[in-house]
Amino acid sequence: MKPRLHPFTALTAAASAAVVTTAAAYWPLSVAMALAAVFLAVRRGVAGRVLPAAAVILTPLCLSLLVLHGLFFPEGQTVLARWGPARVTAEGLGFALELGTRTTACVLVFLLFSFAVSVPDLVSALAGRGIPPQFGFVLASTLTLLPAVAVRLDRIRQAQETRGMVVRRGLLSRLGALRLQMVPLVLALIDDAGSRAQALDARGFGSPGPRTSYREVADPPGQRRFRTAALLFATAAVAGRIVASWPAGVPS
Amino acid sequence: MSQPALTVTAPGQAAGRRRRLLEIAGAAAIAATYIFLVLTQPVDIANGPASFSALVALGGFLLGAVLLIVAVLPVLPTSTVVLIPVALVLNVVLGQLMGSTGLPFYLDAIGTVLIAVLAGPAAGAATGALSSIVWSFFNPTVLPFAAGAALIGFLAGMAARGGLFRRFYFAPIAGFVTGILAGVVSAPIAAFVFGGTSGLGTGAIVSAFRAMGDTLLAAITKQALISDPMDKAIVFTIAALLAYALPRRTTFQFPFVRRYRVLAGKAPAAPEA
Repeated sequence: MKPRLHPFTALTAAASAAVVTTAAAYWPLSVAMALAAVFLAVRRGVAGRVLPAAAVILTPLCLSLLVLHGLFFPEGQTVLARWGPARVTAEGLGFALELGTRTTACVLVFLLFSFAVSVPDLVSALAGRGIPPQFGFVLASTLTLLPAVAVRLDRIRQAQETRGMVVRRGLLSRLGALRLQMVPLVLALIDDAGSRAQALDARGFGSPGPRTSYREVADPPGQRRFRTAALLFATAAVAGRIVASWPAGVPS
Repeated sequence: MSQPALTVTAPGQAAGRRRRLLEIAGAAAIAATYIFLVLTQPVDIANGPASFSALVALGGFLLGAVLLIVAVLPVLPTSTVVLIPVALVLNVVLGQLMGSTGLPFYLDAIGTVLIAVLAGPAAGAATGALSSIVWSFFNPTVLPFAAGAALIGFLAGMAARGGLFRRFYFAPIAGFVTGILAGVVSAPIAAFVFGGTSGLGTGAIVSAFRAMGDTLLAAITKQALISDPMDKAIVFTIAALLAYALPRRTTFQFPFVRRYRVLAGKAPAAPEA
């Protein structure tokens, strides 16, 4: 069996990669980072989930950037084409390319982390580092609640359709149907939360003091050294960027 | 009353003071970052993407959001903590539905506002910030907006405490004001981190202002001042209607609702537990 990555190692690597990409602001590096993330996703076997999720996020964003800066960039000098108020400038296209590749790289890197990480490992690693246990609960509970809510919404829709709910074309009909589905969903979720709170309180969830974890996550010294190195590298990149472009009007 | 564990008042007070300091530090980090960004915004973005401003915006706003979470989360009662995942799910489900329509609205804060109405400003702020962090597991682009989301939750809680949710026609007004503040705070993130907005509808509005020759930050702030107040007015109204639709047995189990009489009407005659 392959040695597993400690969740913090993966998180540190993702965050450092994103910070370095942002600090460098150099589109070939952003493209390389994005390709590296895609390659790792294919190797880990999560590309089938990472790439569609990234496409849903990035397609509107990149289109919006292209329209916004490609057509309207008042600071641009080199005009390539012009239709009425819209001017295509080389500077605008370059700006859209820089920001589009940078955002693409960051989104891919973080999605790779979140789809490859084992959530139980992450939660127990967080609890072991003095992060409030409530944070781990919120994270794990949300991730398990999301698919359950989709199932529940489907059941509510079926129940309301049996009672005669028909969605017609008009806006009012749509809003009415939305209300018929949203109110039972919210009610059931809040009611469930109440009984979950009692069950958790009965098991001492809210009381202070140390917790015993039944799940041990191995943290080899090699990965610890890697984390330190990655953090130092990211800090150096940020420091370099701050020194290079400290705004002129601010006293340092 | 001989058990010492039940009467730990002195350390509790010290911890409370420390939490208060953390809360103030978090709010100060967000405010200072915003002022710094507006004062030092790059005059000429044609020189390249605003990498320095992006790093400052990310670092400052995330630090503020994390400080707020660390300060607030451990003191929330369990009945509120279990509501936070519900709010996150509502934010995500409704926000994604809305993001696919192409309208210049987000509607991604309904859960946050609902929790703020039921459990108060501190819970609202924590829910907003946590919502951004957990949602970023599916959509990393919402992570930088954590500070804005925390501000929305906090202001919704303050409005609820002030009684603005007792009548349904006050809720949109409170939402409108919240939207102005939240939009102004989130604009530097949209401008410097993403260089625009993530939606096509909002992007079209920014393009219109850019065509008139505005700077990027000015154009995005103006877009935010058009979209956000209306968006938050709708969100506050939906949250208020949802809160009214809940049975009073459910709403009045929250101490915040009982203490500040957030929703109109008397408490149900519950048997003493």
